[in-house]
Amino acid sequence: MSIINEISENLQTGKVKAVKELVQTAINDGIDPSTILNDGLLSGMNVIGEKFKNNEVYVPEVLVAARAMNAGVQLLKPLLIEEGVQAKGRVCIGTVQGDLHDIGKNLVKMMMEGKGIEVIDLGTDVSPETFVNTAIEKDCQIICCSALLTTTMDVMGEVVKCAEKAGIRDKVKIMVGGAPVTQEFCDKIGADCYTSDAASAADAAVELCRSAS
Amino acid sequence: MTNRERIMNILHFKDADRLPAVHFGYWGELLLEWAEQGKISKDLAIGNYDGSEKEIELDRIIGWDCNWSRPVGYNNGLFPPFEHKVLEVLPDGSQRVQSPDGLIERIKPGTVSIPSEDDYLLKDREAFETLYKPKMQFFPERIDLEYFRNFNNTRPQDVAVGLAVGSVLGNIRNMTSVVGMSYLIYDEDEDLFADIVDTYADMQYKCLEAVLQTGAKFDFAHYWEDICFKNGPLISPELFEKYCAKHYKKRNDLCHKYGIDIISLDCDGVVEKLLPTWFNNGVNTMFPIEVGVWGDQFEPARKKFGNGLLGVGGMDKTALRKDKAAVDAEIERMKRLVSLGGFIPCPDHRLMPGTKFELVQYYAEEIKKIRI
Repeated sequence: MSIINEISENLQTGKVKAVKELVQTAINDGIDPSTILNDGLLSGMNVIGEKFKNNEVYVPEVLVAARAMNAGVQLLKPLLIEEGVQAKGRVCIGTVQGDLHDIGKNLVKMMMEGKGIEVIDLGTDVSPETFVNTAIEKDCQIICCSALLTTTMDVMGEVVKCAEKAGIRDKVKIMVGGAPVTQEFCDKIGADCYTSDAASAADAAVELCRSAS
Repeated sequence: MTNRERIMNILHFKDADRLPAVHFGYWGELLLEWAEQGKISKDLAIGNYDGSEKEIELDRIIGWDCNWSRPVGYNNGLFPPFEHKVLEVLPDGSQRVQSPDGLIERIKPGTVSIPSEDDYLLKDREAFETLYKPKMQFFPERIDLEYFRNFNNTRPQDVAVGLAVGSVLGNIRNMTSVVGMSYLIYDEDEDLFADIVDTYADMQYKCLEAVLQTGAKFDFAHYWEDICFKNGPLISPELFEKYCAKHYKKRNDLCHKYGIDIISLDCDGVVEKLLPTWFNNGVNTMFPIEVGVWGDQFEPARKKFGNGLLGVGGMDKTALRKDKAAVDAEIERMKRLVSLGGFIPCPDHRLMPGTKFELVQYYAEEIKKIRI
């Protein structure tokens, strides 16, 4: 098995220590950092994402795989910057104002990073203005809003309105998700995309970033 | 018939004169909202919790017969709990707080939400052995034995009373957060997570045994888990079976020995994938079957497991925020489920802000018109 495959395999089983060691070895062996990232780390995370979508793995397996991926990415980051490697797109993500719950948001973030997208995490309790201002300042293609509660999901509609007011609706797509959110709700508030799970959200974000570029 | 007889008859596929109007409590914010609207007094809204006198008074005003989630129990938490303290006040006014379970949470005063889980103490074997294991032991102080010795004479006779038999995994998830639980399962000390689950479960078994040995009689046993979400379980069904199945079996066998044949389990989210572990190990009543927000369903589960699987819940509570037509549609849907037998409708979680007081009264009145 090649070292790249080993990285992918170990990532899929959440072996953070092994992934770190293998990535370091690959770097030392002179393997192109983009290859280590794409064919090792992101490829492994993609497998986990697909399995998660198909209920073949569950939240714990995604979390430990993402932890392993992040450990590897940290080692690669300076080299990728040096190489001028570009992310596939840029997303700002957050849980909407009034809602402090973040596991769904974090899962989506991990999955998007696993697809090679740069994700700016705004945390929880994020106001519509913060979403929109960040999208403008950081030149994001997507605003991604999460909510756990039926009482806070309406803030997503405010994000759409705020983006309209700021004049960025033709440039920035708005994705929504979370426990109480549905396609019907997405359509009602005029958002662009709803997905029912984190892995599908990452797939959709790749498509939206591709169509925006 | 009393409500106790109605409930027990329905869950044993026998006749009842009508359905009982069963509920699952309220968000505190809803009660304050109703008080502001002048529907109930402010006094009734504050300090109103499952089983409180205020809740029973509100049941009377609305027309509810009982709250399913009102079991009696014992202290199955960490004993003593960790000190509940504010660790840090952040610039935005939010606070980092250590919970009694040892979870570090971020809360924002004035914001109604499930707290954000920032960190946790139960990270490795040392933390388990030194901080948690001593708090997971059986102590007689966990149980008010005198209360249970007198229970058969003092308990309400007209409503079904459940015994809270704790949790196998849900409380551990509360101690660690989902992230922490995941890391504990997969980190290098392979036996650690099993040790945590076993230690915590053994203590609860001893508590349950001590209560049942008092001779107190209960209509049903009731677990709390909350280990599922919108897309299914928060742990793989295989791992859930591996770590938890034996503990359900042991505890439920004990309940059966003492004549408790209805064993209910409260788990939010879509529970389908964990049902086999529960059902095959003695849990036979789904609650609250969150159809409205999460899309859980009772009928497919009944088809799969047969009449051995009972249900309490399944009424889309969001209809109670809409209008009479929406409530009527839900009642019609409930009639179909009731006709399956062994099923009692109940709003599929606590009633939330925006719920209309008059619609709740209307639902409670209408549901009682259904005969079995």
